[in-house]
Amino acid sequence: MTTETPAPPATASPPDDERLAYRGPIQRLFIRPEIGALVGAAVIWVFFWAVTDVFGTTAGVNNYLDVSATLGIMSIAVALLMIGGEFDLSSGAITGATGMLVVLIVKDVGEFGGAGFPLAIAIPLTLAFALMIGWANGTLVEKTALPSFIVTLATFFILRGAKLGFAKLFTDKVIVEGLDDAPDHGFWDTIFGSVWTRNDHVWDEFLGGRDRVYGVVLAVGAVLLVYGVLQLLYRQKAVRSPAGIAIAVGGIAAASAGLVGLTATDSVSANWLFGVVMAVGAIAAAIGVGLWRFERRTGALMSLEMSGATAKSVGLGIAAIVVGTVLGLVLDMDSQTEIGFLLTVQGLRAIAYTGLVVTGLIMLLGAARSAGESSPRTQLLITTITSIAIVVLAFVIQGQATSRKFRAEFFAVLLGLATLIFIAGLMRAMFEERRFADPVADRRGRLLALSGVALAFGALAIRLLWSTTFENETLPGQVRWRVSVLYFILFAIGASYVLLRTQFGSWTFAVGGNKNAARQVGVPAARTKTILFMIVSAAGWLVGMLIAFRLNSVQANVGDGNEFLYIIAAVVGGNLLTGGYGSAVGASIGAVIMAMSFQGIPFAGWNSDWRFLFVGAILLLAVLVNNYVRARAEAST
Amino acid sequence: MKRYRLAAIVFAFMVLAAACGGTESTETTAAGSEPTDTTATVDLNQGSDLTFHMVTHSDDGTFWSVVKKGMEDACTALGVNCVWSPSFNDPSKQVSDIEAAIAAGSDGIGVSLANPEAVVPAATDAVAAGIPVVTINSGVNDYQSIGAITHIGQTEIAAGNGAGLRFNDLGATKVLCAQQEQGNIGLEERCQGLEETFNGEVVTQFVGPDANPEEQINTILATLQADADINAVFGVGPIVAFRAVDACSQAGRDCFIGGVDNSEDVTAAIEGGDINFTIDQQQYLQGYVAIVTLYLNQVNLNTLGGGFPVLTGPGFVDADNVAGIKTLVEAGTR
Repeated sequence: MTTETPAPPATASPPDDERLAYRGPIQRLFIRPEIGALVGAAVIWVFFWAVTDVFGTTAGVNNYLDVSATLGIMSIAVALLMIGGEFDLSSGAITGATGMLVVLIVKDVGEFGGAGFPLAIAIPLTLAFALMIGWANGTLVEKTALPSFIVTLATFFILRGAKLGFAKLFTDKVIVEGLDDAPDHGFWDTIFGSVWTRNDHVWDEFLGGRDRVYGVVLAVGAVLLVYGVLQLLYRQKAVRSPAGIAIAVGGIAAASAGLVGLTATDSVSANWLFGVVMAVGAIAAAIGVGLWRFERRTGALMSLEMSGATAKSVGLGIAAIVVGTVLGLVLDMDSQTEIGFLLTVQGLRAIAYTGLVVTGLIMLLGAARSAGESSPRTQLLITTITSIAIVVLAFVIQGQATSRKFRAEFFAVLLGLATLIFIAGLMRAMFEERRFADPVADRRGRLLALSGVALAFGALAIRLLWSTTFENETLPGQVRWRVSVLYFILFAIGASYVLLRTQFGSWTFAVGGNKNAARQVGVPAARTKTILFMIVSAAGWLVGMLIAFRLNSVQANVGDGNEFLYIIAAVVGGNLLTGGYGSAVGASIGAVIMAMSFQGIPFAGWNSDWRFLFVGAILLLAVLVNNYVRARAEAST
Repeated sequence: MKRYRLAAIVFAFMVLAAACGGTESTETTAAGSEPTDTTATVDLNQGSDLTFHMVTHSDDGTFWSVVKKGMEDACTALGVNCVWSPSFNDPSKQVSDIEAAIAAGSDGIGVSLANPEAVVPAATDAVAAGIPVVTINSGVNDYQSIGAITHIGQTEIAAGNGAGLRFNDLGATKVLCAQQEQGNIGLEERCQGLEETFNGEVVTQFVGPDANPEEQINTILATLQADADINAVFGVGPIVAFRAVDACSQAGRDCFIGGVDNSEDVTAAIEGGDINFTIDQQQYLQGYVAIVTLYLNQVNLNTLGGGFPVLTGPGFVDADNVAGIKTLVEAGTR
């Protein structure tokens, strides 16, 4: 970038003030609070996917999402409160308290008798009760200026005692039962207790079958995502070249043909042919788009040069991959022989193989990135090496593996990854990166990328919600989606919107960052915090209803102690304990991480005695990764 | 009147809540009403001048009310005086109640040793004073050192043994022993007992606390999905056993399910055929037999048990007797 300064478009000039310095889309992504959690979630998912049979299937996803739903709803609310600078230790107990209260109001039996009211009255009353608790928490914290830790700890004990005391007083038992005695139970059950049984929703014929629709939607999503990211990364041409369109269209056509061919044929040679057609098509499409819209690099940058440090990383990276692969080939993958503390040959192989190969790949990509600063051609060389290494790895793994998921799914993912890395290197070598804001391209790119992600999630949802006759016949059991997962997703979206797009969200950040300063600029600090407390207890009410309608009965200790899980989930999701920083999406990812680490253990068949050791390690790791990612992102601006 | 009751509940929840404080001791077996701290004399004298004292860590919950009922029925039948002294898990109260019984010249004391370190010296004093003593409910490790006649109760190992034999009869081949608490010696012993008698393999797992319903159901489900050979679940509490029903149905597996202790849900599930059995401690016997043992020791110098504990369980509730037991639960003797 030293030889010439690109003439920026008239709409945006490169700023001189370093505070306004342009941050690339990747950089901007990496300073988001949730990015560390996202990486962590991916690592944990891949880990359990690899070591268990069921974790990666729909039944597994259903399992940990079901657990994370109620946990997540609460951790999002708790995260909002934490961003606002406060804690609520009564958030666990309120879930059980509202659940019990609704049953008690509905019941018409017991020593003292319940009220025997319909749910239409009981449910709003319970919500009012929850809001009152939240209001009381907030007001007490504000009026007394005591730490919210103490105030809400008192609320927690009060609720906990009240739950047990009243359960025994009214029903003589520690559990209150009989929610379905209510006359209007049916209606409210559809709202809080609906279940979508996947096995009953078969999708065989419509539009060529579920898997074809899934594949098409996913592919379109991927294309949109890649196209959007390219828009964000590269400099727009002043005059576009229509010739590029022809190449792009041809490439996309080839890639689509490859995809169709892959799904339609089964023979190995045909798969080969179509796989290669698809990869070449994708590469051609990317180049075509580049030629059509983006500025080419100038020739002076195309010399090969490598700094000592970069050369060292490349060498070490390749060495790590080779050693890892050799170890993977030499050690017996099925041997259960113990070679020391709790470690079998199989375990050593898994750790050494995965660890070395992943380290090697990360070193290569790091080297490519640093080489790209001075010499795009060197960077292209290194990314090509990386892609080749991944392809070789894919074949080694396929040759060894016995399970289908490694032979087919993982193999395909690795080949796709190699293609993607190669395309990224190629594009970077060929085209000029954008180093300034371009509002039109930015908005378009963001929109396209987000639509791509949304489509990908839609594709996933199709697979998770509908089954095929084949699956119903081959897999035992049922996958039941509870409505709680829907509430979880909606609540995550709603809370993110409030936090990032509304005045109340700005107030929340402000009071958590510096309350006095916020107050001086006119933020109603007390009201904001009280509302945040009320959001937490309202979320507790929602979870209480979900539990009550699921079990039809509520035990006195439901939710006690869970407040710490909520706070942990929020912290794992990148929210700061000190307030003023965090995100709702992060908290929900944190909840999914917690649920995955809890549920992964029984799926893996591990001894549950170690469970908290494992959860503690994950928590520590998540916080460290968060810290590291954020420090890196902030340092690189 | 419904309006007032509703108002009472809501108002009570909001305001009186503070008065209740944090009651921490919740045994799954001992659910009960508001404790009334009294040492009640049950005047059932029918001519005999014998007086027996039952000094336990009882909390007047539904579990202990059955023990008390057993004591009362035995005293009525034998025509003796009985004193029921609950200590609500307060060892110092239990110790002073024992001392009071000794001072009153008791003719026999039944004592539970939930807190052996505190209570054993007082119980030893009673034996030294020449008063016959039996331990009930808990105390199987200490009754001999005290010099008690015998111990009347159920050991957790024996409960697990019974479950293992039941699962053998049912035809189970691999059992998940599902625990709702981690590091609870009683629950561990139930699973150990199961392993001792069960012919197949036992997988012992902590499946999440009762307080987290989603986690518990899904952890049982995950364990079942991860291991296709498991065809039975032994839930070592009433709630976890009931949740295993849900997990098995979702896993599409025809599980044999056993539990420990009773609840409305569990009896209903046994009636419906979803749960095969639940283990019953038969605590009525702990009250009844204790009095009979002390009485026969006084009038006939009998020593029940021959130095060994007398086990009141495991009794079983299953499809064959659940209907009858339901009525007995309502009558307060089961």
